[in-house]
Amino acid sequence: MPESLAPMRHAFTAFLVALDVPPHKRVDILTAVGETLSNAVEHAYRDVAIGTVALSALCASDGMLTVDVIDHGSFLTPQQRLFRGFGLRIVRSVAESVDVNTDAGTTVRMIFNAECGRGKDLAV
Amino acid sequence: MNSHSTIGVIALQGELDVARKTEIHASLVVPEGARAILLDLGSVTYADSTALTELLRFKSTADSKNVPVAIVATHPQFVRLVQFAGLNETFKVFDRRGDALSYLGEGK
Repeated sequence: MPESLAPMRHAFTAFLVALDVPPHKRVDILTAVGETLSNAVEHAYRDVAIGTVALSALCASDGMLTVDVIDHGSFLTPQQRLFRGFGLRIVRSVAESVDVNTDAGTTVRMIFNAECGRGKDLAV
Repeated sequence: MNSHSTIGVIALQGELDVARKTEIHASLVVPEGARAILLDLGSVTYADSTALTELLRFKSTADSKNVPVAIVATHPQFVRLVQFAGLNETFKVFDRRGDALSYLGEGK
């Protein structure tokens, strides 16, 4: 449901704050992840009333943040799951890398130079 | 007549995502009789590509009527979003209302 996007963004922002990600990087990473979440909500469950979009984030000791947006919607090829409009361009402008895996549902993995964690491995 | 009286002002607030697409679409209408439009996004804390698409549609309509649009945005997220989408040259974005009004006062 699109209404769930704001709570997911807020939860993710709280995580970025807890990891001491610098404010200017928080804004950009939220923008990129927000696009991916929106894409998943819009496309994954077009024909189904209820579904799950999951968000996981791993902060590595080198400050790189790996974020996965996962849905188990209808099986589509990466081409069919393309971001509409500006979405992918926005994500690619922020993330160091973006990969889409459609083996089981769809997982979009983004890696950001977030300067997070201060030497610890942390995940949510 | 005060030149400001013919500048239409449209204000949006909060977080502009796909959940509010219908509302955003309904708000972004070129007011009848406006010679210019000030789009006040000063209270917008988050926007995404859904909002950009609606803004482009709105700008396109305004352009076809020769009505210039100036956007006021104070939260950095919107400015960065426009940059990431490659739309810096498309939208005139100001961080102060006075600068936006000056731009509109100069005309096209």
